Amino acid sequence: MKTKVFLLIALSLVIFACEKKESEKAPVKKSGPLTIGMSQCNLGEPWRVQMNEDIKQAAAKQKELKVVFKDAQNDSLKQVAQIEEFINAGVDAIIVSPKEAAPLTPVVKAAFEKGIPIIVLDRRVNGDNYTCFIGADNKKIGKAAGEWIVQKLKGKGKVVELKGLMTSTPGQDRHSGFRSGIEGSDVEIIFDVDMKWLEPAARKEMESALARFKDINLVYAHNDPGAHGAYLAAKAAGREKDILFVGIDGLPQEGQMYVKQGILAASFEYPTGGKEAVDTAVEIFNGQIPEKEITLRSRVFTTKNIDRGGVLL
Amino acid sequence: MKFFKKPEARALIALAFVLIIGFAFNADGAFFKWTTHRDMLRYISVFAILGCGMTLVIITAGIDLSVGSVVGLTAVLFSLFSIQYGWSAWLVIPVVLLAGMACGMVSGTLISKWGMQPFIATLAMMVFARGTAKWISGGKKVSTAVMQSDGSYKYVDVPAIYNFISAKILHNNIAIVTIIFLVCALVAYIVLSKLRWGRYMFAIGGNEEASRLSGVPVVATKLIAYGLCGLFAAVAGICQAAQEQQGDPESGMSYELTAIAIVVIGGTSLAGGRGGIGLTIIGALTIGYLEKILSINAVGEAYRLMLTGIIIAAAVLFQKTRKK
Repeated sequence: MKTKVFLLIALSLVIFACEKKESEKAPVKKSGPLTIGMSQCNLGEPWRVQMNEDIKQAAAKQKELKVVFKDAQNDSLKQVAQIEEFINAGVDAIIVSPKEAAPLTPVVKAAFEKGIPIIVLDRRVNGDNYTCFIGADNKKIGKAAGEWIVQKLKGKGKVVELKGLMTSTPGQDRHSGFRSGIEGSDVEIIFDVDMKWLEPAARKEMESALARFKDINLVYAHNDPGAHGAYLAAKAAGREKDILFVGIDGLPQEGQMYVKQGILAASFEYPTGGKEAVDTAVEIFNGQIPEKEITLRSRVFTTKNIDRGGVLL
Repeated sequence: MKFFKKPEARALIALAFVLIIGFAFNADGAFFKWTTHRDMLRYISVFAILGCGMTLVIITAGIDLSVGSVVGLTAVLFSLFSIQYGWSAWLVIPVVLLAGMACGMVSGTLISKWGMQPFIATLAMMVFARGTAKWISGGKKVSTAVMQSDGSYKYVDVPAIYNFISAKILHNNIAIVTIIFLVCALVAYIVLSKLRWGRYMFAIGGNEEASRLSGVPVVATKLIAYGLCGLFAAVAGICQAAQEQQGDPESGMSYELTAIAIVVIGGTSLAGGRGGIGLTIIGALTIGYLEKILSINAVGEAYRLMLTGIIIAAAVLFQKTRKK
């Protein structure tokens, strides 16, 4: 129902705006009602829900822009089909957050060669047959987290690492980046396990870490729910005051909230790039050529800076 | 030797085998601490609660694949009503339990009245309930961050009921959720062993046609079995939300498989007609200890899955040999 109302409003806005447009004659390459097709690989993760939300909000700020959202439900072939639908529908630009590189590469190339601007968001495709790639660097974020932790612990301490799925690139990068960030310090990883991005799993693993080690200074989790799960385990054991918790993602209703509540010592933002993708599409519509690769800067939220909206890394 | 022919004995042997692994790989003595066992019991409780309902359904020769999704749905409903709408716990809990029970009753109706295969009917409910959970929550976790109309967030406190359910009692020695599990087990035990509905469930699982002909109310019995299964799933959903301090529409994903594994490892037969709650409790302990031992030893994910698969297969094979 909500989406229907939203679409109706968006549509009427588009019609209304395009009537006005006739007289304006702005120096745009593409004018009239414009449509962006957004192909999201899955909406199971809150982070991706947030990405769509960011796109929706950024598009709402533009006058005659409509975004059609499609959710591939974690199925690469479904995502290919959805992008084909966008191509056939003749949308003015496509934003795609691919599930995986190999299956999506040909269809992205097809759109690109047809002259439809295609913006690849977060995960890459192979080759360079796309208009623009926008993404954050998990390795950099992991490294920043590592360096921040070394500083926070004054170069020495016992750390539990709760990893995301180690078969996924974000998990691997957040792990290797972190390890390079703590290199050369006396920060010691005493327990590292895969919690599969899941809060209940993180809580269970943390309980094991607490049972084994009397002395834990900090928990580094690859996402905020993981860090929160670890906090709950420590709290249940009455040890939450002795341990610092650090997570990644920094969503407003997760990481930022936990930092505000004093649960996490820090959360490192993994920006969705939703706003930047829409801005880039608008740039293209205005006849500008965007940069081929845009690396998003992320922020760190700590108990000290959370009220100021975090600090750019 | 008669003792070893009993399913309880076989289930206990499987459990003992897992415990021996724990003694051998005790992770510097962590396995010998009571807190390790207490935390294992806390973790496995949600699955074991699902196992209680699953036992009833499996005894009628059915299956309920929807319990994991119902956990997600009821967790979302519980958080939405209690955190975001601010309803009192006395109102929220019955409403959420009824919602879970309704899910089970719908599956039960599809199965008993309209002759749908349990696998298909509950598969449909599994997909539908998950979709409903995502729709109600907008795909986001329902947490103490309440979104305002301007897109900003207001942070509220978690209601007292959350802290009550996720607390521990008896000098911090046992989790409330474990107590809730034991209550569920008791309820399921009474249904199965003390009420005539329990006898009907065994009868239907043994031979549905024969029981129908001898006057067993098949439709009503199945409705009760699936309805209770949904009710227990809602109990698990409330426990899950309370422990996570939020309602996650993704929570309970694939929990139905763990619940089925718990029931089957205990020795309840998937063919129906044989089994019991005692077996399910032993099955829950077996799976719980297995996971705990892998966890305290920080075993990698790949090995965990492989080992869990082997042990489930071995335990069930061991159960099977008793028929010969």
